Amino acid sequence: MRVASRILPVLLVLLLWEGSTRLGFVSRAALPPFTVVMQALAGLVADGSLWANAAKSVPRSLVGFAAALVVGTLLGGGMALSRPFRTLVNPLVQVLYPLPKSALIPLLLVWFGLGDTSKSVLVFLGCLLPVVLSTFNGIAGVNEVLVWSARSMGASRAAVLWDVLLPAASPQILTGVRTAIAFMFLLMVSSELVIATNGLGYMIGALGDRGAYPAMFAVILVVSALGFAADAGFQAMSAHWLRWRE
Amino acid sequence: MPEAGSREAIGVEISRVTHRYAPRNGAQVTALANISLGIPRNQFHALLGPSGCGKSTLLYLIGGFIPVQEGEIRTASGLVRGPGPERGIVFQNFALFPWKTVKANVLYALAQRGSRGSEADQRAQHFIDMVHLTGFEGSYPAQLSGGMQQRAAIARTLATDPDILLMDEPFGALDAQTRRIMQEELLGIWRASRKTVVFVTHDVAEAVYLADSISVMSARPGRIQQRIETDFNNRNDPGILRNPEFVDTVEHVWELVRAEVDATKAGRAAA
Amino acid sequence: MSGAVLPAPVPAPNLQRLRQAAGSCVALGGLLVFWAVAGQREWIDPFLLPPLGEVLQRLLEDVQFGEFATNAGLTVYRTALGFLIACVLGIPLGIAVARSAALRWFCAPLISVGFPMPKIAFLPVFILWFGVYDTSKIVMVAFASAFTLVASAEAGMRGVDKVLVWSARGMGAGPVGLFFQVLIPAALPQIFTGLQIALPTALITAIASEMLMGGAGLGGAMLQAGRFADSVGVYAGIVETAAVGMLVVAAMARLRRGLLHWHPEFARR
Repeated sequence: MRVASRILPVLLVLLLWEGSTRLGFVSRAALPPFTVVMQALAGLVADGSLWANAAKSVPRSLVGFAAALVVGTLLGGGMALSRPFRTLVNPLVQVLYPLPKSALIPLLLVWFGLGDTSKSVLVFLGCLLPVVLSTFNGIAGVNEVLVWSARSMGASRAAVLWDVLLPAASPQILTGVRTAIAFMFLLMVSSELVIATNGLGYMIGALGDRGAYPAMFAVILVVSALGFAADAGFQAMSAHWLRWRE
Repeated sequence: MPEAGSREAIGVEISRVTHRYAPRNGAQVTALANISLGIPRNQFHALLGPSGCGKSTLLYLIGGFIPVQEGEIRTASGLVRGPGPERGIVFQNFALFPWKTVKANVLYALAQRGSRGSEADQRAQHFIDMVHLTGFEGSYPAQLSGGMQQRAAIARTLATDPDILLMDEPFGALDAQTRRIMQEELLGIWRASRKTVVFVTHDVAEAVYLADSISVMSARPGRIQQRIETDFNNRNDPGILRNPEFVDTVEHVWELVRAEVDATKAGRAAA
Repeated sequence: MSGAVLPAPVPAPNLQRLRQAAGSCVALGGLLVFWAVAGQREWIDPFLLPPLGEVLQRLLEDVQFGEFATNAGLTVYRTALGFLIACVLGIPLGIAVARSAALRWFCAPLISVGFPMPKIAFLPVFILWFGVYDTSKIVMVAFASAFTLVASAEAGMRGVDKVLVWSARGMGAGPVGLFFQVLIPAALPQIFTGLQIALPTALITAIASEMLMGGAGLGGAMLQAGRFADSVGVYAGIVETAAVGMLVVAAMARLRRGLLHWHPEFARR
């Protein structure tokens, strides 16, 4: 029942979309009816182009994302646990933080051209900071009495890190990862709209240039759905991992 | 149970009030069951009981913040239908407006009563002085300690000149030393203004020290298990806490409360 | 006890902060030195990492000949206007959603669906609808920032401690006074946090839009440099963009301190 009431508003909007375009309140050239968009989508699925482009977009973005997770947690953790390390790394963080990550797109064009690498590196750089910051804040913010309790029970430093610090910091770290997921999609689409020859973002641009608007809308919906699904899936996993939190 | 007395002598009159609510994942809970209680004007009355016995709920019902489901609550101003300045409330977490200074908080209360300008300014200062916060009018709540914030909250509530002062474990968030000082100061303020006070607490000694009359409440569903009159005329004697009569009363009341705490633990509903 | 305020701050934390800042400067300086040396000795292909000197020179030229002002000005203009539109439309909507159960039922699923969408994907749609000039960019920025603003305005209103409302009502406040004098100030910290998150998003979106659509502006200039293999221009553009980004973040932080000076987060403890 709850799920139904959550879907209903979305359905209403879709209904509004279909109705206003079919009835002519909104120009069909500007906004193709929902059903027409769905037909175009079916066509893209049938001729394999949707899958082909997705198969290009997703893996290279995931590579960058995964690398950002690994490097980010290490950097953030290192910063939280070692003051000299933090002093060393901090300026990089401070400089990168206010830089709009999309500004790196031309730079990556210069470095790696139009291929897969530029996308992976862009996603890596863009997702790095949220993970670093949330890991740092998470671990640094752990109430020290938790650590003291563990040490007084005889736990080694490594055990404290693994058994106390990481779990205690996990809510915050996971929030950072969630932000990173959003950045991944943002940078994937941005870079593919601008410096790519394949991929879902490129597909949107190309379809638009060709005037194939129903298909363009279809791919936009697919990308939005992917972003939503990734976020929802991650939230579900987080809820499961964090179920000890009342 | 004492009679309500004439209308003019009424502080708060609670008649057959029952309150139920349904939590999200469970059966309906009866928080208060058929409570009837008459608090005479100018009395300092304590609602005492274990956690979850509904004493705060009863306070909020008197304050008009929760609608009365069954029964009725009356004050000298008539039937309680909603919040109103004749029933001032002080909360445990102070509820000061953090974006206003102490003085601005008090002025806000005065403004609701239509008092503005230099007249309001003087009256605000009067209340700030009364709670010994002179010199801190311009401070923001975040800059003050817990005890000082509570004084400010009391000053603000007093500024609306309420007939009835509702206090929801106001000293619960303070350390023991501050608490004791605040208790003494509260008694001083009450004696000077002679308002009706309804004071919720789970601290037996605090209730016996402060109140003229204590309603010991039973565990959920909350009922008035017993009403104890505590008539210590020499309350402002600092040796009161060692007075044998005082100590006996505290023990007696504590036994009553402990029985209720045990009842809660055993899960028995009080008869 | 009544006279005691909070103890004066211990001098050590300030000294610590100074040491940290110094350390950071040293690390940053080291990085720049490495860059300068690497450029000179050509450790890295000068195309990929042009010498620091050339980048600095280009930066000076950009400022001198007004390039920086023009580009940064355009980007900031588009960002600010789009952001403002999103504020004017989004914050009241968020407040309304918090107050009305019906509106909340309708909007909450739409917001939670819209939030994680990469909204930049809609840029071609806005180009289709609004053309290739400023309007489409501004609408894109507004669209991208709006979701965060609505969500944080709603959370801010919902998160107001009910004892504040009860106190005010207990003092006799009416509904209008309650809304403007109690609810809005109490919700302000969280609403402002939403602004602080949404503004960098607006800037990223503006730059990405400029890159796609070309023309003037920091994004457009950088991409053009990239396409023409003008790596010095790209680096200079990044520094300029970072500078604008830093200014924006700093300005918002300053504004927060001014508006919310009473908040415990700024209390001297």
